[in-house]
Amino acid sequence: MKRSTTIGVGLVLGAVLTTSACGGGADSAGGGGDGTWTIPASDPTATIDVVGIVDPVSEGMDEVVAAFEADHPTIDVNYQYVPFDDLNSVLDSRITSKTGDPDLFWVDQPRVPALAARGYLEDLTAQFSPHTGALQEATVAASTYQDKLWSLPISNSTQLLYYNLDLLEAAGVEPPSTDPAERITWQQLKEDAATVQSEGGAANGLLLGQPNRYYQLEPLPVSAGGGVGAAGEDNLTPAVDNEGWVESMTYYGSLFADGVHPRGIPAEQTNATFLAGDTAYMVEGNWMVGKLADSDLNWGAALNPVWEGGEPATPNGSWSVGINPFSQDKEAAAVFLKWLALDGESGYAEHRPYAELPANLAGLEAYLAGPAFTGSEAGQQAAEVIAHETANTSVPRVSTVGYIEFEEIIGRAFSDIANGSDPQGALEGAQQELVNAWQQYQ
Amino acid sequence: MTTTTAPDAPATAPGRRRGRGLATIVVFLAPAVLAILLLRVVPFVGAIRSTLFTREGVGLLAEERFSGLANYVTLFSDELFRETLVRTLVFNLVLNPLQIALAMVVALLLTQRLPARGLWRTAVFIPCTIPLVGSSIAWGVALRPDGPANGILSALGIGPQPFFTSPSQALVSIMVVASWVGIGYWMLFLIAGLNDIGEEFYEAAALDGAGRWRTFWSITLPMMRRPLLFVLVADTVANFVLFVPVQLLTNGGPENSTTLLMFDAYRRTYTYSTPNLGATSTVVLTLIMLLIVAVQFRLLRDRD
Amino acid sequence: MSTTTSPPVPGARAVPGPGAAARRRPSFSGPRLQRVLLLVLLTTAAALVALAFMLPTVWMLLGSLRPGSQVISSVSPLGWHTLVPETWTLENYAALFGQLGFGRSMANSLWVALWSVVIGLALSIPAAYVLSVLRFRGREAVFAVLVVGFMIPFEAIAIPLAQVFTEWNLNNTYLGLILPGIGNGLAIFNMRQFFLGVPISLREAALIDGASELRIMTRLYVPLSVTTIINSALLIFLAQWSSYLWPLLVISDQAKQVAPIAIARTFTDTEFNFGQMFGGALLISVVPALLLFLLQRYFTQSVARSGEK
Repeated sequence: MKRSTTIGVGLVLGAVLTTSACGGGADSAGGGGDGTWTIPASDPTATIDVVGIVDPVSEGMDEVVAAFEADHPTIDVNYQYVPFDDLNSVLDSRITSKTGDPDLFWVDQPRVPALAARGYLEDLTAQFSPHTGALQEATVAASTYQDKLWSLPISNSTQLLYYNLDLLEAAGVEPPSTDPAERITWQQLKEDAATVQSEGGAANGLLLGQPNRYYQLEPLPVSAGGGVGAAGEDNLTPAVDNEGWVESMTYYGSLFADGVHPRGIPAEQTNATFLAGDTAYMVEGNWMVGKLADSDLNWGAALNPVWEGGEPATPNGSWSVGINPFSQDKEAAAVFLKWLALDGESGYAEHRPYAELPANLAGLEAYLAGPAFTGSEAGQQAAEVIAHETANTSVPRVSTVGYIEFEEIIGRAFSDIANGSDPQGALEGAQQELVNAWQQYQ
Repeated sequence: MTTTTAPDAPATAPGRRRGRGLATIVVFLAPAVLAILLLRVVPFVGAIRSTLFTREGVGLLAEERFSGLANYVTLFSDELFRETLVRTLVFNLVLNPLQIALAMVVALLLTQRLPARGLWRTAVFIPCTIPLVGSSIAWGVALRPDGPANGILSALGIGPQPFFTSPSQALVSIMVVASWVGIGYWMLFLIAGLNDIGEEFYEAAALDGAGRWRTFWSITLPMMRRPLLFVLVADTVANFVLFVPVQLLTNGGPENSTTLLMFDAYRRTYTYSTPNLGATSTVVLTLIMLLIVAVQFRLLRDRD
Repeated sequence: MSTTTSPPVPGARAVPGPGAAARRRPSFSGPRLQRVLLLVLLTTAAALVALAFMLPTVWMLLGSLRPGSQVISSVSPLGWHTLVPETWTLENYAALFGQLGFGRSMANSLWVALWSVVIGLALSIPAAYVLSVLRFRGREAVFAVLVVGFMIPFEAIAIPLAQVFTEWNLNNTYLGLILPGIGNGLAIFNMRQFFLGVPISLREAALIDGASELRIMTRLYVPLSVTTIINSALLIFLAQWSSYLWPLLVISDQAKQVAPIAIARTFTDTEFNFGQMFGGALLISVVPALLLFLLQRYFTQSVARSGEK
């Protein structure tokens, strides 16, 4: 026994030493990379690894890659699809192994500050800042943190109020408007939705495309005057328990308590539920337009609702692409990035048509001229709404290094409120949790 | 040491065979032990070490600094974490015996000589072969407030239940999903154990005039001690590290009612990218498991 | 083998009764009618239990045979069409095997799982054998290491281990997928529990006949433990078959990706195809379910007790 124990201890000790020698103390925090590279005038010969959340086949990313390789034959792109929920784990593992794989990767725009602070993103200010005029301002702002550009946006998003015209007509309810002067209020929407339920036979009055998610709900407190959720230097002081938040979240809870919005329907089930045809209204992103255009539903689109007496607000943001600071092929990566986001209508938007709202201005124009938006009256309404909201009312999600914790904690509070918890109590709890979680950044 | 082990091991080999005996032990044991040491234990020792460090900044690239038990202090001074700890214990104390009892009932039923027995066994086993991602999502749809489960309950006159949307039912609903997956799996190992009980014992019991109930308690159960110990330990470990249904169905809510320790550890490690706190949470979890498993070994140890 | 926690067992293990070969549960005594009734009752119970476990699976199966979005539109209100599709289609399976490359991923998963079982058993059987029949210093300590080994949540060590694998150039290799599955302490524990119950007199007799430990293990213990070895193989198989996080971390080459990750391709941040996802999940379950169904015939009453002369 004694001998084997000694051997065991020896092994374990050896292990500890090895681990601490190779895995332990990292060289330095903050963005690696020396920043001396440029966007080359002629293409280097290289193979670059790219990690993204767009499916190679069913979402057409293979075609995007093929189009790039045709334009830039000396650069091979090795694209790897990673499920959206697992992007974080994969990046944690790959980037911190410092091998430079992947060279480029997809970044959720509100996470730019968090990833920049973790040292996962190369500073692109010197190389790309001069060219960002081709992109929607809000998406560039969302890719920027502490006045530095950390990634290039390839897509954007906004929310629209969709409705089932047949159900509204059956109930004799006037459809909401696309005219900014006539924008429907959240309060009115709730009343109308209840009317369509009682008079028009709708099972559900209203559906939010992504219930309990900050992206979806942010416009409510902002429009009610409660702000985006954090204040102070670097947005590290949580502010989710003020009057605007409590009032708007009391409204949110009442949607469920009064049976206007069904409980327990997660985001992945909402689109199919609305398409099933027994829901009066749905607030959902622009990606719903294509699905509705393909369906038999008699639908329409209107401006996102506004809080009674408040300013209109809509969410924005989508995906950016960033460069790994440990990449061995930053110049080739930059060529791909430039092609993806900037060249022409942006290669990404041009070769993946109608999938996402392009961040590129020329791309957006072409996008809104496509058949899904011109082929029907409802499509034209949607195009009108998207053009107006992205240019005038969009409010980026809170820009903070603590975004990941924020999104998670506030999402749980939203979920509790939807399930019947007292809004004030839930928000105060979230406020306290955020104070604790953000201590590490102070 | 040599003299204290169970007598079902053979008498020690005579001296001349000693060297060969040692060689056998090393050759037979070393590959498995090495694989487990290198691929499990050593990385875990690294994880334990990391619980004694905090980072200067955020993320995995930030420099580590020795900080003693600071991570443990952080965790245990968090009321939510202490609640999670208690909840995890209650979850396991309720679920594990229940699952094993049900698996035992099903195993007893499906070791009787019945027509199409293999088919029934396979049906019960199938849920554990479906990837948890898929079955969790399916249960999420089935237990929607307006979903088919509530349709059936309403038809039976029970009325719709809130399931995952209610703090008082969400954890129980998770238990249902976990049991649907687990029972068929543990049944297999119990069937193997039941098949191993010689007929002669049942015949002797029948001769003594013992009924089914008495036979079960005096023959079956004692003879099942070894497979039961395995199932008990394995089920305990499986349920302590369960987190996929929580992650997909409730995200720990409502009101934290389904936040279990492994979910907490997973979230700290992968969602928040705070590996040191995540490792600390995992180490606490593993220590608790060790304690419980040690008790189980004591309760069901071989005394012969 | 005597027990202290229960009434003495009639007939100690080492001395089996004479009727072992008869293979007859003695409990079915009594009049014939009663026996038939009991059989009907038990069969009904078995069928009901099977139905309870199968119902969600059947619903998933039928869901995978309707157009993707109809899974949700059919759940409410409850009716005949909640279960049975209005429109039958194979489009979900066509998409899975076509654009999602499910066939390739399944083949990869099968390759990885089978090799893990072969290597895993080759490692575990000798270890379990030594731990249950030989006595030596540190036996308990080694066993404790194995127990701790299977209690370690894999998620806790996945990222550091993935970085070690990167250093060893095991990324994008089948070996990188197989290795973490081969050291399965749970399988060793399972077999040890069974080997402990094999009468020691059998081994002693073989030793006197001059058999080596290897021979005793392969010719005596393995044939006596077929059910347990199948269970251990299934244990290793299922662990690898359902592994998700690890392949995600070490495989970036689509051609080497495994089936559980292909399932994740049925949903994105804004798209969710329930029909495809249910179909994919069921396809994954077919292989182990079929394995179990076919291996059933080895799930016989153990010959251990009657094999001793």
